[in-house]
Amino acid sequence: MSFPRWLKTLSILAACLMLTGCGDSQESAQPQQTAQDGFAGLGAESQGFVQADASTPLMFPEDHGAHPDYRIEWWYLTANLEDSQGEPLGLQWTLFRQALMPPQERPALTPWAADQVWMAHLGISQHATHVAAERFARSHSAQPLAQQRSQQRSEQRPQQRSEQQGQAGVVAAPFHAWIDDWSFRSPPDANFERFSLSAYHGEGDARSGYDLTLHAEGPLVWHGENGFNAKTIQGQGSHYYSQPFLRIEGSVMLNGESRTVQGRGWLDREWSSQLLTAEQTGWDWFSLHLDDGRKLMAYRLRGGGENGTDYRFAHLFNAAGQTELIGRDSIVLTPLTTEQVAERDIPTRWQLTLPEANLEFTVEARHANRWMPTTVPYWEGDVVVRDTPSQDQIGVGYLEMTGY
Amino acid sequence: MILRVVLTLLSHYRRHPGQLAMLLVGLWVASALWSSVQAINATAKESYARANALFSLETDQLARSDGIALSIDDYFLLRQAGLPVSPLLESSLTIENTRLTVLGIDLLTLPASNGNSRTTANGGSLTEFISPPWQTQLSPDTLQVFRLDRQQALGATPSIGEQRLPPLTLRNDLPPNTLVMDIAAVWALFGEQATLSLVTASGALSQPPEGYRLTRATSLASPEQLTDSFHLNLTALALLSLVVGLFIVQAALGLAMEQRMTTLRTFRALGVPGKTITLAILLELLLFGLIGAALGLISGLWLAGKLLPDVASTLSSLYQADVQRSLALPWHYWLGSVAITLGGLLLAGSGVLWRATKLQVLALGQSYAWRFSYQRQLMRMLQAGGLAGAITLGLATCLSLLPAGEGLVVSFSLVAALLFTCALCLPPALNALLQLLQRLLRRRPLGQWLAADMQLQLPRLSLAMMALLIALATNLGVSSMVGGFRLTFLEWLDQRLAAPLYINATPSTLTPLNEWLTSQPEVLETLPTARGNTRLLAINSAMENERNANESALLSSIAVFGISTVPTLTSQWPLLETFDGIPRAWEALAQQSVFINEQMAVARALQPGDSVLLETLQGAVWFTVAAIYPDYGNPQQQLLVTVDTLMQRFEGELASTGIVLHSEADTDAFRQALSTEFDLSPDTLVNQQEIKEAATQIFERTFSITRALNGLTLGVAALALLATLLAQAQQRQRQLATLWALGVPRATLALLPLIQLGGLALITGLLAIPLGITITWLLVAVINVAAFGWRLPLQLFPLDIAVMLLTAFSVALFAAALPTLQLWRTSPRALLNEETQ
Repeated sequence: MSFPRWLKTLSILAACLMLTGCGDSQESAQPQQTAQDGFAGLGAESQGFVQADASTPLMFPEDHGAHPDYRIEWWYLTANLEDSQGEPLGLQWTLFRQALMPPQERPALTPWAADQVWMAHLGISQHATHVAAERFARSHSAQPLAQQRSQQRSEQRPQQRSEQQGQAGVVAAPFHAWIDDWSFRSPPDANFERFSLSAYHGEGDARSGYDLTLHAEGPLVWHGENGFNAKTIQGQGSHYYSQPFLRIEGSVMLNGESRTVQGRGWLDREWSSQLLTAEQTGWDWFSLHLDDGRKLMAYRLRGGGENGTDYRFAHLFNAAGQTELIGRDSIVLTPLTTEQVAERDIPTRWQLTLPEANLEFTVEARHANRWMPTTVPYWEGDVVVRDTPSQDQIGVGYLEMTGY
Repeated sequence: MILRVVLTLLSHYRRHPGQLAMLLVGLWVASALWSSVQAINATAKESYARANALFSLETDQLARSDGIALSIDDYFLLRQAGLPVSPLLESSLTIENTRLTVLGIDLLTLPASNGNSRTTANGGSLTEFISPPWQTQLSPDTLQVFRLDRQQALGATPSIGEQRLPPLTLRNDLPPNTLVMDIAAVWALFGEQATLSLVTASGALSQPPEGYRLTRATSLASPEQLTDSFHLNLTALALLSLVVGLFIVQAALGLAMEQRMTTLRTFRALGVPGKTITLAILLELLLFGLIGAALGLISGLWLAGKLLPDVASTLSSLYQADVQRSLALPWHYWLGSVAITLGGLLLAGSGVLWRATKLQVLALGQSYAWRFSYQRQLMRMLQAGGLAGAITLGLATCLSLLPAGEGLVVSFSLVAALLFTCALCLPPALNALLQLLQRLLRRRPLGQWLAADMQLQLPRLSLAMMALLIALATNLGVSSMVGGFRLTFLEWLDQRLAAPLYINATPSTLTPLNEWLTSQPEVLETLPTARGNTRLLAINSAMENERNANESALLSSIAVFGISTVPTLTSQWPLLETFDGIPRAWEALAQQSVFINEQMAVARALQPGDSVLLETLQGAVWFTVAAIYPDYGNPQQQLLVTVDTLMQRFEGELASTGIVLHSEADTDAFRQALSTEFDLSPDTLVNQQEIKEAATQIFERTFSITRALNGLTLGVAALALLATLLAQAQQRQRQLATLWALGVPRATLALLPLIQLGGLALITGLLAIPLGITITWLLVAVINVAAFGWRLPLQLFPLDIAVMLLTAFSVALFAAALPTLQLWRTSPRALLNEETQ
């Protein structure tokens, strides 16, 4: 007797409610609340996991791949593009990994058993239009990434392709990060030098996504000693490097309309077991391409500094990837204008001052409507950089704001 | 003052406790059966509501076109192709005869529901759900299976065999007998035994990916729609017992009123306003009503608690709808039950109230004039009976105009109207009969007295007799239907289960297995079956012109069943109607023809010879309907084709295979060989006997409630008769005293009431037989078709009828015997004293 369909449906729906329930609890992690685990649980207990520290040097190509012994990790691409009419267009593609348990508590490798959860976000924005999509998947870190299926099965189905892979994962060389049909990969002969990225969501008029080719035109940049980037004064932090010199071309589909694009991209790689302290509730993160070829990565972690102040960091480097300045307490990040987005007050115009480099920028969102209404919601969008005294545009970039 | 009046009125019952008992018993039984059925219905509705509250999103299902069972590879492949499928791993557990469904889900990919309210579940975090030791989510009413209460439940890990379930977590919104856990947890418990299915949000895929087929969630009705008729049946029975109970109440009230007429007139003479008296009677009624309702509720709940497990198993086996096995009652249930009891009481007491308001102060000494008023009453009954008869005819006409398979409510109303017509005509009929008897027995004074005395008693007995008539007729109807269904069903089961052995395995196993079977020397014949789906696009029937599938009802998914047309099967397979004879029908089936089940024939108004346009793999194709076959117990419409046709033309897969072995073959050894060869678990191989037993068990359970309610109704009627007779026993003695004084011997005197009552009950019983047969016919040929979609042959069981008559007769004798015994023991002097009083 087969299981009644309506009952099945009901159970599924009940489960869905649970999932959205989880989303709710994270959504309510407002800065003013005493959120125990910081934003999106990034400050949660990390016992049993390998801790990020400055003594572990980065190793390539291994570090392009996943680090399942660390609790959290991401592959984060943002791009400032222009279509053939010269209209600016911004996009992001992010793959997040989170370990469910420390390595020693992993369940045995059986079908469906998982120790890693993957979440991917796609975002495309132009003018007032902004689309977002997300995907989830589970995997087991002991699962061979190119799997050999059991003898019996392959005999039964000789027609199936030889390369079997899980629903999501990241291989270091040749680099391949995927979840479902979203794929970000390098060819074997140009690992982490050339990439292709393909991700689409929706059908017909609601279909959005992109097919992009990316070329690295500069070196990888490490944000700290050995690529370790401290995030609190207590020393919590992450392994953090970037590929900020990406030249991008390809096509972007926005709500069923396709267009050719080209422009610049920035890929962030970061992993850690405890990124934030429990007191840190969110951040404001800038990655800016200046027209003079220099790049700036700057952030402010709200809380977690000395006496509960904000923790700030800025890294200015030149077109060759050489560090010009690492700023900490001296940098100033001031919200100038806030706008109502998704029933929240979001700063959409910032004053950014680096006294040591004698730089004073105004960073302005191209449009306030860049809210990512995903399970873990945040604001992420393309920005224009202006020289504060003259108000001339001197660059473009991306801004991410969480915990609002 | 009003209190004094009420107390005085109530004091009547101190002298006549029998009447009080009868009144309360009437109210009690009326309210008890009604409350119990309402409690069952309310509980079932609550269970469905949990389903429907979340029913906004349905899922479509994917399966492989080649019939091979889905595996995790299919899942990865489809996800990689960008299809939003989510895996579901299903298995089941049986704990203490309760079947629990275990459902493994992947929270990360489940189709998200947009319209759902974002309630924060107490189910804990996503991490806890998907990491070992995982969680078992279940609704609190499933806990009793594990013998746990709420306090113990949280985090408990009940053992199942050698393993333990993940820690329990309670979820109020889950259906009963369902355990939900992470898909990895289900794999850890059941491994390969669990079945994988892939689901998508309904309509998410416009067409299935290559190599797969899509079953859409469109054709399924909600459990509430499916079970509606079942609950209507229960309600109808409960309503019947309510009516019977109220008959008793009215009889008791009428009697008490009659005897208190003098008191009431005295009140009026003493200056008590008429309104006060009416109010006092109303208060008295309310008091009884509340007591009766309370008693009824308590025993009704007890009864419902006893019946609910059977109802739940019936619903789950008939419709696969799970209903919790403990009562869950909303507030309106309590209010409703009390309101129905009070309302019924007021209705029954309305006559009494009417008479109290019309009380003539000066009409003293008219208490013996009731005989004339009874004549008027009989006239009124006859008129009311005529009206009810007209309504019956109207309903019957209305029903004949409705298409077959519809008008369940009309049919039930028809039964009710018919019962009332007959009940109302019963007293005038009995009266006329007694009148005739008196004339016939002119020359035998004692006989004449017997008839005349009976006629005198009739006003008080008539209500009890009406109740008896209704109860007997219904009892006969219901028991004939159940008995007839039982015979038909068992015979049908014998015919359908032609092979002695059946294999229930996955389609992927069945393909090689069917081939292997043909090469086995022990195997005489294999009877493979297959099942699939199609869509009905149009109908071309002889009755009407071509009907297009524009009507949405027509364009729906229909189940297709495939069988093999070997003589073993075709010689036994029952057919209801064919176009040109049974052999030709089977020949036609092998070509471009289909058989349809009775449910489909009724619902679509199809006959053999009509044709249907079906969606096939080769496009739309017309098929001729060659025959109609009975398909008892199936809630859905079904088409029958050969296995070959099904596999070539429709989307389907192999289902179970029947095996006929040579007579000298060793069945056990063959079973063993089969199990080893294909690595089958023992329960994939079933013999005919086991299937029959399981089916019979389902059947017995289905009707156990009907039988219980039916028996109770008859009991109530018997009680009504008994109570009425006891209540007037006192008066009877007075009348007998006169006879005794005239010289009738005491032995004859004691025999007289037995003859009177026994005869009356027998006449009522005999009248109930044709009524009962009519009701049986309505049940099997009209109501059953409307409720379940199939018709049963009308079968009568003379032995049952005899038992019923005997029951009625014995109850009457028993009721008459008690006063008789009293009479026997009373000294003649005392009798005379009573007369002179």
